[in-house]
Amino acid sequence: MPKLLRHLLKLVGVLAIVAWSLVPIGLIAMSSFKADRDIFSTSGTFAFAPTFANYEALWSRWGDFFFGLWNSFLVTLGATVLAVGVSLLAGFAYSRFASKGLQASAFFLIFIRLIPPIVITLPLFPVVNWLGLNDTHFVLIVLYATFFVSLGTVVMRTFIDQIPRELDEAAMMDGASQMQIIAKVILPMAAQGMLAVSVFVIVYAWNEFLFAFIFTTTKAKTAPLVISEMIGAVEGVEWGVLFAASTVQLVPVLAFVILMQKHLVAGLTAGAVKG
Amino acid sequence: MSARTPLSAIALVSPVQLMIGGIIFLPAIYVFWLSLNQSSFGQAASFVGFANYAKVLGDAYFWKALVNTVIVVAVVVHVELLLGLGMALFFASGVPFRPLLLAIVLAPYAVSEVSAVVMWRFLFEPDVGMMSRLLLSLGLPPIEWAVNPSHGLAMVSLLSIWLHLPFSFIILYAARLSIPSDLYEAAAIDGASPWTSFRRVTLPLLMPALLIAALFRYIFAFRLFSEVWLMTGGGPARSTEVMAVYLYLEAFRYNAFGPAAATGWLLVLASLLLALFYLRRLYKETFARA
Repeated sequence: MPKLLRHLLKLVGVLAIVAWSLVPIGLIAMSSFKADRDIFSTSGTFAFAPTFANYEALWSRWGDFFFGLWNSFLVTLGATVLAVGVSLLAGFAYSRFASKGLQASAFFLIFIRLIPPIVITLPLFPVVNWLGLNDTHFVLIVLYATFFVSLGTVVMRTFIDQIPRELDEAAMMDGASQMQIIAKVILPMAAQGMLAVSVFVIVYAWNEFLFAFIFTTTKAKTAPLVISEMIGAVEGVEWGVLFAASTVQLVPVLAFVILMQKHLVAGLTAGAVKG
Repeated sequence: MSARTPLSAIALVSPVQLMIGGIIFLPAIYVFWLSLNQSSFGQAASFVGFANYAKVLGDAYFWKALVNTVIVVAVVVHVELLLGLGMALFFASGVPFRPLLLAIVLAPYAVSEVSAVVMWRFLFEPDVGMMSRLLLSLGLPPIEWAVNPSHGLAMVSLLSIWLHLPFSFIILYAARLSIPSDLYEAAAIDGASPWTSFRRVTLPLLMPALLIAALFRYIFAFRLFSEVWLMTGGGPARSTEVMAVYLYLEAFRYNAFGPAAATGWLLVLASLLLALFYLRRLYKETFARA
């Protein structure tokens, strides 16, 4: 193939990939700065007078949304700390100990990922109500963390496997306890793995819809749930305000994913190869 | 390896095991019990055997949802793997601004299902959306996702592919990068054409990663809920429901907990069946390493 043609084909490929990934995102981000009359105008795709009207409307009329963002933040923080913490402990155990029972429980970790989340909402819904935990941050934190601890443990084990055992043995000689070894030796060196696990949990908890939809109504309502209410608002979709909300919800997690790209890739490969 | 597990190891794994055991495993088992009973909120359960299964299997909406799910899963997973494979090979052949392009490819991973629905509904809004206008200017019929069931499912599939392509791509790209380049050099010296070296080197070595990616995507695509719920709500006239939406409606709208639980167990069984070969291999590996 002539060189020029190859370069041309490559360029077309790159443009197609960029368009596929970015047009949907870019379009709503851009349209969130458009006045209503410009949103669907053919001439104003790029040429328009930017306005903050949609953001002002979002602020004044959908205070719920910002409350939802705050709830999302709390739930994401809680779920991440919980999931990363317990995954670190379990990952350490699976990396450093071996026994029949442990092998069986490692198998159980992976097996459990086959159960669809919606199935367990049936028995959990009445129990959560009975415990008075309905519409609390707590219930979402525990659910989100639980659905990521098995992947988290597998990823942590993969990362901890790479830390030389001699280091824990040396610390043990110095009289360090198990918890001290984890805190002083393993934790600093497993930071990469912990970041990888936290990327998964953060993206999941920040964006999750199903559990939030079933288990929260007002007090612990998360941002995606508020956006879904905006889609279904009776008076028809107010596109501009909806775009502003989607953009605000998306920007932090998008920036985070791009920043953490390396860890995301490392975690995905570690998690998928092993389990 | 010892037969006994040290106490400290038990203590370390117990938080994780208690969480998945108490919140996922036991409730899932309890769903089986629920599926054998007739119950609703605030009502004592009464044992009915397999009547709920008979009821579900006799429900035309269940079969509609099952067929929809199978079609959407088949389309989504296979198109996604094909695109992911193509992109992985494209990246491996050398692309300009690789780190930046990689970040762009990963971007949809950060997008919530809710926002993705907003984006794609906007693109395909009848008459005025950018894609609708593009189709119109090409003389093609519009996508009427709100009224035409197959168009609705097509939108859901498109949206799912868009959201999950980064996952399939990363798995395949990482696997492609781990193929040593001297294999390709050797193939080139032997006079292999690009197609031959793809078929004889790339494809066989990528096969494990392809299978893993396919398995994970089958299992996760099978749970599809939010995209459908937010795009079509299962309508018009319950024509675009998928399994998870059917289950949700049975349980939380029609208060039919028994049939919903039966549907849930059928979902679990289907997932296990899909993953059977993988579980078997994993089981052997897990205990062989011991």
